[in-house]
Amino acid sequence: MSPRYFLRSLLLLILAAFSANASNWLYLAKLSSVGSISDEETCEKLKGLIQRQVQMCKRNLEVMDSVRRGAQLAIEECQFQFRNRRWNCSTLDSLPVFGKVVTQGTREAAFVYAISSAGVAFAVTRACSSGELDKCGCDRTVHGVSPQGFQWSGCSDNIAYGVAFSQSFVDVRERSKGASSSRALMNLHNNEAGRKAILNNMRVECKCHGVSGSCEVKTCWKAMPPFRKVGNVLKEKFDGATEVEQKKIGSTKVLVPKNSQFKPHTDEDLVYLDSSPDFCDHDLKNGVLGTSGRHCNKTSKAIDGCELMCCGRGFHTDEVEVVERCSCKFHWCCFVKCKQCHRVVEMHTCR
Amino acid sequence: MAGAIIENMSTKKLCIVGGILLAFQVIAFLVGGLIAPSPTSTVSYLANKCVDVRKNPKNKWHLPWGNNPCEKIRNFDEAVSRQIEANDIVFSIHAPHPPNEMSPWFQFMLYILQVDVAFKLDNQIKNNAEITFNVSLGYRDDMVSEWQGMAYAEETRKLKCVFNYPKTKDNEGSYYECDVLPFMEIGTVAHKFYLINIRLPVHEKKGINVGIGDIRDIRLVGIHQNGGFTKVWFAMKTFLTPSIFIIMVWYWRRITMMTRAPVLLEKVIFALGISMTFINIPVEWFSIGFDWTWMLLFGDIRQGIFYAMLLSFWIIFCGEHMMDQNERNHFSSYWKQVGPIVVGSFCLFVFDMCERGVQLKNPFYSIWTTDVGTELAMAFIIVAGICLCLYFLFLCFMVFQVFRNISGKQSSLPAMSKARRLHYEGLIFRFKFLMLITLACAAMTVIFFIISQVTEGHWKWGGYTVELNSAFFTGIYGMWNLYVFALMFLYAPSHKNYGEDQSNGDLGVSSGEELQLTTTITHVDGPTEVYKLARKEAQE
Repeated sequence: MSPRYFLRSLLLLILAAFSANASNWLYLAKLSSVGSISDEETCEKLKGLIQRQVQMCKRNLEVMDSVRRGAQLAIEECQFQFRNRRWNCSTLDSLPVFGKVVTQGTREAAFVYAISSAGVAFAVTRACSSGELDKCGCDRTVHGVSPQGFQWSGCSDNIAYGVAFSQSFVDVRERSKGASSSRALMNLHNNEAGRKAILNNMRVECKCHGVSGSCEVKTCWKAMPPFRKVGNVLKEKFDGATEVEQKKIGSTKVLVPKNSQFKPHTDEDLVYLDSSPDFCDHDLKNGVLGTSGRHCNKTSKAIDGCELMCCGRGFHTDEVEVVERCSCKFHWCCFVKCKQCHRVVEMHTCR
Repeated sequence: MAGAIIENMSTKKLCIVGGILLAFQVIAFLVGGLIAPSPTSTVSYLANKCVDVRKNPKNKWHLPWGNNPCEKIRNFDEAVSRQIEANDIVFSIHAPHPPNEMSPWFQFMLYILQVDVAFKLDNQIKNNAEITFNVSLGYRDDMVSEWQGMAYAEETRKLKCVFNYPKTKDNEGSYYECDVLPFMEIGTVAHKFYLINIRLPVHEKKGINVGIGDIRDIRLVGIHQNGGFTKVWFAMKTFLTPSIFIIMVWYWRRITMMTRAPVLLEKVIFALGISMTFINIPVEWFSIGFDWTWMLLFGDIRQGIFYAMLLSFWIIFCGEHMMDQNERNHFSSYWKQVGPIVVGSFCLFVFDMCERGVQLKNPFYSIWTTDVGTELAMAFIIVAGICLCLYFLFLCFMVFQVFRNISGKQSSLPAMSKARRLHYEGLIFRFKFLMLITLACAAMTVIFFIISQVTEGHWKWGGYTVELNSAFFTGIYGMWNLYVFALMFLYAPSHKNYGEDQSNGDLGVSSGEELQLTTTITHVDGPTEVYKLARKEAQE
């Protein structure tokens, strides 16, 4: 992401001031040029937040940097997971951040909501573990903490705080609407599915430390999965997402699969309401960039293959000389010494 | 062991005693399950990446936050662009997280280390890779004073990682799954704040920290005993110590009041009482005020002595109830069975000294980190395991023998004289009773151990949370205390026959079996009968 790009998106943020979209807070990801969010005034200036999110920002200033990092993480992961698809999770130079695709109740929207709520939970939990936040596992407002405190019974897992914060910050938009419209229900469901993708994939690790290190005393803890893993899980859920419609059962409105023959979806599954466009053609009005100019794989029969990627429009092939690093020497951090190798490759680009 | 209380007690009284003990047992479980929190808790730390810009040996501590924090970087991409070298990076961890403080009630601190290594096609983890770190540990007791150095070490650990995805360009950036590495163990928590600084120095010529992949993060997990659990545990120990001590004194008084010398079994029960008291004495109270790092090791030794004593007791108890005509009543006649216990305990003791003993000097030491150390440790543990198996074979064989003798005796019981019958019936009852409660206790221990290993730490039950692991510890600890208590109470010589004991002793029949005639017999038949009996047996 170049500085120019940031500047442009920043300008757009100002334009976006009054646009209403539940995922607008993801704009925070683009704010790295602003510096850290350190006082209450900055909260007011942040675009894309609704009033209640601004209030939360003021009350939890220290957490906001993590929220922003969570948003960045989510966008990066989304772009990684969708790098080979027609819709490649590119952020737009127009409103809203992912284009209309996400304002409609599509599969892609489902994924974006899930990964972003997971991103916030993940980033906040990480900040807890590095000691940046004061409340975290010992915060008594978070459920599951014993009232006696750290010295009596320790703190609960940081993930509990991360998830709780993600719930109150990300979900607030749908909750404030009263969670009645089918879109709100869908968003809430997918937000929760994103957090479940972390919670259900926590690795349990144990250590024995009884007499002479025997397993007489064993302590286990939960370790957060790497965010790539969360992305992989959600991508799988994206591929198997359920199309749903709203039904009224008793006095509550719920989402049920459109096709009644399908198994009802679980908490971890993604759900969507509208079918997605084919993403083939450039359509600025809907924020679809189209696949023209995208690279494709000539030999693949899957979605990254030229046949599907270019939507049958064909592609042209160039011979490009690429400069690659080769026979490198690495240290575990920072130091790389490489030779440069030149290689000619065939590059296929969609028309 | 003439006429133990258990034989002279009426069934009703026995039931009352059993009921009281059971009530205490239930209380022991409930104290752990309802009052105490879980025994240990964990705190996870993500190391902050500090840049050693100052290169100033005076200011050697790197604090992740607070006043005078280090210069932090978010990730190593930032370091690449700023041309910071690996040797300038310090991983800094402050324990505990703000705003908490450590407390002496935590008893011990144990840290394990995990490395997050990202897969890169051209920078993979080499086979048998080893990671070397320079660690320094500091402490302070308030937020403003200088950090005091506590330990410094250069340690090497084996990096055992697997990559679960195909090693392709597409999977670059996914993490390896690495085994957790033992990091540090401290037997006392005397200070409020601790600071750990870790460096991973690279030395290409010596091959240090080369080929360890693309490290993204270092995470630590700190384990400590919960303050609440410690308090409950101490309270329990403080309550149990006088109880066992008093019954022990009472038991020994009974034995010394007899004119004959105590038999082996009585001595062993007394020794069991002493080792139980030794465990019970709450010397841990001192850990609240003093910085005694050896407490962990001391606790291990105390437990080891008790286990060895308990195992020896079972063997000797079986042997003394063998009901054959062999002369025993002497410790040396059990060397074959007790030998494995001694060897096994000694092995575990040496192992413990090698691990926790060395940790007194260097908290980062672990015997498992080197090949030789691992082999040595395994050797000790395997020998101890073999000894334990050997012991159990002996024990099972002895129990089998006793039961065989019992069934042999039982068939000939009706034909016996009243005195002999009662004598054998007493023996059989005493043996079966102990067999039963021992099996019950052992089964309880095993069952609860399995439950605590298999299930999650706690059960939600209505509005209550039952801490299973704590209930396991307090319950089992209470149970073995009650076991020893019951043993000393029920197997103490009955007070009904101080006088008659003398005649028994005068017979010069020192075999345990002959001495174990009950008071009822002596009352009915008188010493002459016993004398005849003994002569008869001696002739056989």
